[in-house]
Amino acid sequence: MIQLFHVSKYYDRRPALSDINLQIEKGEFVLLMGPSGAGKTTLLKLLFGAERPDDGQILVQNRNVARLRPSDIPYLRRTMGIVFQDFRLLPKKNVFENVALPLMVQGASTFETRRKVAEALKAVGIDHKKDHRPATLSAGEQQRVCIARAIVNSPIILLADEPTGNLDPHLASEIIESFKVINARGTTIMVATHNPQVMAQANRRVLMLEQGKLIADPKAGL
Amino acid sequence: MRRLAYLVKEAMTNIRLNRTTTLVAVASTAFTLACFGVFLLLYLNLRGVVSSLQDDIKVVVYLHDGLSAQGLSDLQQRLRSEREVAALSYVSKEQALADFREQFPSESHLLQGLGENPLPASFVVTLSPRFRSSEAVKQWVKRLTTVPGVGQVQYSRDWIENLATLVGFIELGAIAVGGILSAASVTIIASTIRLTLYARQNEIEILRMVGATGAFIKVPFLLEGAVLGAVGGLLSLAILRGGFDLFKLQLGPTGRFLGIESWLNFFPGHVSLWIIMAGLALGFTGSLVSLIQFGRASS
Repeated sequence: MIQLFHVSKYYDRRPALSDINLQIEKGEFVLLMGPSGAGKTTLLKLLFGAERPDDGQILVQNRNVARLRPSDIPYLRRTMGIVFQDFRLLPKKNVFENVALPLMVQGASTFETRRKVAEALKAVGIDHKKDHRPATLSAGEQQRVCIARAIVNSPIILLADEPTGNLDPHLASEIIESFKVINARGTTIMVATHNPQVMAQANRRVLMLEQGKLIADPKAGL
Repeated sequence: MRRLAYLVKEAMTNIRLNRTTTLVAVASTAFTLACFGVFLLLYLNLRGVVSSLQDDIKVVVYLHDGLSAQGLSDLQQRLRSEREVAALSYVSKEQALADFREQFPSESHLLQGLGENPLPASFVVTLSPRFRSSEAVKQWVKRLTTVPGVGQVQYSRDWIENLATLVGFIELGAIAVGGILSAASVTIIASTIRLTLYARQNEIEILRMVGATGAFIKVPFLLEGAVLGAVGGLLSLAILRGGFDLFKLQLGPTGRFLGIESWLNFFPGHVSLWIIMAGLALGFTGSLVSLIQFGRASS
């Protein structure tokens, strides 16, 4: 599903990622751990095409992301769901409209949009607040809306960057449980976090990054 | 279709939410197009005047007094066969005298002492539309003066030529002023859209993350610019119409007396439409410039 071959990325000649080799199978739930500045966000950005690697190749669903034309990147992202630490919801749109956004950009019909948004909101338990604006929701609720937006399009891969970073332990636990449910439906999930609670609760394969290097990956024997 | 409705809704929402910048962009486009419109009004009206004057150009071919009846008939035949001649009328010496007395009754005593009628017979020639340009008339008159039996040839050339030259200058002025002001308008609209783009940077980023194509992100901004420009164009027409009516009112009885009022016309429908379209194009271009710059800055 996801393969990285000798991937490196530099910012101002300083390596953010160095010679990363990685393979993630379809339906896996992988945790990307490491301290701040270890390269977790950079790795996720490379996967959804927000950055290009300086060296190496990245295959996502057999597509070489490193060589995708900029005009093809939106179509790659339509097969993914992305969850951010800061939620990134549109403040002037209500919950329903925020979640419907990925369907809107693909030109889904009104009927399909209503059905899929309702399903996604129900899956994360926030369907009763579909008419609310993000500002009227708690942090945990906003993160649920963000997850609903990420899964509304039935993505093959879900990428989450510090999804529990702004949440208290109880809410963080709920979010991880949501991811488990989504993963159980067959979605490949990669969660970048430095929160040990997430690691303990998820109890899945852990990739450890430090100073841009992959220092632990049980599957690769690291 | 649903996607288009969404994009149009986004553009309209953005216009509604950014009232001040929208107002500045509309006002600047309206001002630009109104300035250009003043030149255009002046140019179109003067061109109309020149055109109608050129339609009325009559060439008077004065004949030698000693021309025989046969010579007169031959000359008439010859003139009729000329491509330049659309119509021809003969004014005899007697008719010329009668006309003079009728037109200048207080001056008729000037001719009394001369005994013989001093006024020559003439042909009054109406020119074919194809040969009404200054150069064509000039060439033909030059050729005509060498024809036997023809004395003098007169036509009101100079001042019509001068007016045509003035219209030419106004045309150039309109192009120059229009060009400069259009550039200014594009810049102002580009700045307006750029402000919106930066204000909505997060939203654009979110749209990118959920798989929106460049076109999906850009279309609302292009629509916004086009709408602002078209509204500016419409406003400029309203300003011009108001100014035009006020000018006509100011002319009052003097203008009517001199016949100026009947020459003055506002833009015909298709020119008004072109002005609105010009506003739309300026707005669209402004947005496009801004999006290109924003794209470079954010990449």
